[in-house]
Amino acid sequence: MDIKKSIILNLRWHRRIGLSVFVVMIFLAITGFALNHSPGLNLSKINLTNGWLLSWYGVAPQKSEGYSIANNWVYGTGTEELYFNDQALGYCPPPLASVATTDQLIVALCGESLSILTPQGLLVETFNQVQGLPVNSTGLATIEQTIIVLGETEAWEFDPDLLNLNAVDDLSVLSQATILQPQSLPLAFSNGDTSGGISLETLIIDLHSGRFFGDAGVLFVDIVGLLICLLAFTGLWAWVNHQRLRKQ
Amino acid sequence: MGTLLATSLSSPWVTAKGVFQSGPDFIAQVFASETARPGVLWLTADIRQQAQNILDRPVGGLRVRYHIAGGKTAWILEEIGKEMPITIGVIIHQDKIEQVKILAYRESRGGEVRYPAYTAQYRGASLTQNMRLNQNIDGITGATLSVWAVNKVAALALYYHSQLDKAD
Repeated sequence: MDIKKSIILNLRWHRRIGLSVFVVMIFLAITGFALNHSPGLNLSKINLTNGWLLSWYGVAPQKSEGYSIANNWVYGTGTEELYFNDQALGYCPPPLASVATTDQLIVALCGESLSILTPQGLLVETFNQVQGLPVNSTGLATIEQTIIVLGETEAWEFDPDLLNLNAVDDLSVLSQATILQPQSLPLAFSNGDTSGGISLETLIIDLHSGRFFGDAGVLFVDIVGLLICLLAFTGLWAWVNHQRLRKQ
Repeated sequence: MGTLLATSLSSPWVTAKGVFQSGPDFIAQVFASETARPGVLWLTADIRQQAQNILDRPVGGLRVRYHIAGGKTAWILEEIGKEMPITIGVIIHQDKIEQVKILAYRESRGGEVRYPAYTAQYRGASLTQNMRLNQNIDGITGATLSVWAVNKVAALALYYHSQLDKAD
């Protein structure tokens, strides 16, 4: 094949491939850019709770619940924060299993730590499993101004001053315990509850990789990737042919 | 030295997630031969402000726990690396760090900071006037945020230790 025909054929395919992947290539570049700067853009912290999106991912929307204490609300969110009304208090790995209260303090049991608060909602300190909170803690109760940490088959009296736990010998006393039940959060607070959502970072990763559309989407992105490689080769070939033509 | 450390500690197979030692075990190990007394440092407005300068974020909580015996203090503090808190034990003696130990690491990457080869760099470090460590700490490729977190906690423990005399 003479060189001019080769150039025309190559350019024709270069143009066809370029046109066919143009939109997807721009999309992949933008999503790739966003993922590259995800920490700076805080994409993992932006939760999407659109009903259609959650059903696409098979995630059931969760009911927003919290604990009402003297007209204040203590609740956790999917962003791993503990809240007192609209005030974020710090790290609280979900789920927020239980909240108990005495006249002096409020105690919240998160996934792996206890948060001790003043009745006004100031965080005094946290007590976690590394510091000695039993791994099998499941809930909290109050018996006469004493906080009880409940386990699956045991219970401990919690001393918030010394952060000590003493086993309750007679578990029958738990029948007198007060255990707070979660209630539906008022709308003013439940808007901030992002539990059960999909992070924007996850959505962009799935769109970028094609996983959002299942196996077909992944295959499609694979094919686009191959076409982009082909585009590079045809571009390089066009440049080589051009050089050869100039020499002739 | 920095390159050597970074190369020897960087490994794609290191996940390093988990609790490596409980707080009570750490305290018992550090004060094996003496009885440590638990104490509480209340975070006054001044302490809180300085701690905020060290951590580059507001400090949570009204008080901090420590253990003390023979002038040596042990602090168990937490700081977020990228998204999850790292639990770090710091031993201070005569205003210098005697030991830094990672007790729990929850991030999926960057757990190389738990290796003794890394934490040994903090031994002997003290606090400068601008609330930074007086020793250079070599970083670890791929664990930058965790390294920053450990640096901040080490400086914070030194600062808290320095406040005990004033608090007493």
